[in-house]
Amino acid sequence: MPAMAKPPNDETWTAADLFERLERRDKFFLLDVRNRDEFARSRIEGRSPLPAVNVPYFEMLEEGGQDDMLDSVVAYVERNLADHLPSDLPLLAVCAKGGTSEIVAQGLRRLGYASVNLAGGMEAWSRHYLTRALLAGRELAIYQVSRPARGCLSYLVASGGKAVVIDALRHLDPYLALAQNIGVTIEAVVDTHSHADHISGGVSLAARSGAPYHLHPYDGIHPMDLRPATIPYQFLRDGQTLAVGRIALEVLHIPGHTLGMVAFRTGDYLFTGDSIFIRSIARPDLGGKAETWAPLYGRSLRRLVGLPGGITVLPGHFSSLDEADDAGRFAAPLEELKKRNDGLLALERESEEGFVRYLLESLPKFIPEYVDIKRVNAGFLEPAEEEAAILESGKNVCALSQAYAASGGGAS
Amino acid sequence: MSQAFDKLFDARGLSCPMPLVNARKEIGKLELGQVLKVVATDRGSVADFQGWAKVAKNVELVAQETETTEAGNVYAHYVKRTA
Repeated sequence: MPAMAKPPNDETWTAADLFERLERRDKFFLLDVRNRDEFARSRIEGRSPLPAVNVPYFEMLEEGGQDDMLDSVVAYVERNLADHLPSDLPLLAVCAKGGTSEIVAQGLRRLGYASVNLAGGMEAWSRHYLTRALLAGRELAIYQVSRPARGCLSYLVASGGKAVVIDALRHLDPYLALAQNIGVTIEAVVDTHSHADHISGGVSLAARSGAPYHLHPYDGIHPMDLRPATIPYQFLRDGQTLAVGRIALEVLHIPGHTLGMVAFRTGDYLFTGDSIFIRSIARPDLGGKAETWAPLYGRSLRRLVGLPGGITVLPGHFSSLDEADDAGRFAAPLEELKKRNDGLLALERESEEGFVRYLLESLPKFIPEYVDIKRVNAGFLEPAEEEAAILESGKNVCALSQAYAASGGGAS
Repeated sequence: MSQAFDKLFDARGLSCPMPLVNARKEIGKLELGQVLKVVATDRGSVADFQGWAKVAKNVELVAQETETTEAGNVYAHYVKRTA
C-alpha cells in the first residue's frame, strides 16, 4: 500500500483525497444530499460499487422539521435514516458545492458517526484532474491526463522538447502545468473527433499555446444542424503524419462513433479516441444516424484490430475506474483486448450484418445535452462557466450499454 | 407581466442551503394563501425549490422566473402558503 500523501483528516476530504481512497478501494459510505435527478445522472463511483444513499437535503429539512438546517439533519437522521447508515464505516456527505453537505456531516458527527464532507462537492469532484506518465523516455513520453468524475481521458505526447495534446479537456491548467514541468512546448493540439459528452479544451489550449488546432473536416459539420463549425481548425486526413520532435503521429480515419473520427498512432501506441475502449467500444448513434454509421464503424474497427504488432490501446474514455490497471493507467495491449473487450469479441464473433445488429441493440439512452455540447465544440454556443459545468455534469455515456452493466451508476 | 406576491425575500448572494432554509422560515410568517417571492442567485435553488415544494405539505410553488442581469442570473421563486 502506498504511503499516504497527507495526514488523514477526519472532517473534510478534498477531491484528490477522495480519488486516492477510490483507487485504494477504501471502504466508506456515500450520503448524497443532492436532488434525485442529479443523483441519478451522476454519482461518485469507485473501482467497486460504493454503498450509497440519496436523501435530498430539502427532505431532511422539511421532514426534520426544525428551522435550523443542522437541527433538522440531526432530527431526520435519528428518526428516518439511522437504520440505513452503517456505524462502522466513514460516511462521506456530498452535495453540489460542498456547503450543505458540510452541515450534514456536522449533524452526523453530532450523532456519533465518523462523517466527513467532500470539500467543494460534486463541482470540485468534476473539476478534479489527474496526470500519469505512461512512458517517460526522452525520445517519446506519453502522459495520460484524466478527469475521473467524467471518465474522460486525454494525452500529452512529448518528444525532443515538443508536445502534441490529444483530446484536451475543458480545463487547461493540467496541460499547461505538465508542459512546464517537463519542459516542452505544445506545438499542436488535436481532437480525435468532435466530442458530444464534454466541452473540448482543444481550441482554447491551441490559442493559449500559439499552436494550430486540428480536427477531421467531417467533424467540422454539426451532424444535426448540418452547419459548418465556426472554430478555427486545420484539416486532418487519413494517412497524414504530424511531426512531434523526433517522432511522428500517423492519422487513421476511422468513422463510426462520428464521421470524422480519427485514431493517432506512433510506434506501438494507438490513441483510439472513441472507438476501442478498455472494456467496451463507442456507440455509433450520437450523430443521430446510427443505422448509416454502424456499418462504417464495423469496417473501421476491423481496420484497427488488423494493425500489426504489439499495439497498446490508449482510449478516450473509461466507464468504470476498475478498467485501470494496478498503477491506475487506462491502457492495454490490443491483443489482450481482443480476448476480453465486449465489442471486439462481438466483432470477431459476428458477420458484418450481425455486428451492426449488435451495435444497434446496445445503445444506451440518448443524452439530450449532447446536441448542445457538440454545438459548443463547433463554436455555435459559448456558455459561461456555470452553464458549461451544467452541460458537462454527469459521466460520459459514449460507450455501448455493456460498459455500464456492472458499474451501478446512473448511466444505463 | 410579473407574478403577484405579498412579500419579498432577498436571498441573493446566499449559497445552498440558506435560500431555502431562510425562505422556509419566512413562509411561516405569512397568512394562508399569501405568496412569498424569493430572489436568489444560486442556480441550484431552481431545482431545490421544486423538489422542496413537492415534499412540504404547506406550500405550493406558483411560478419560477429567471432574470438575466449584468451581475448574472437572478432566480425568482413564488411560494404560496397553503396550510
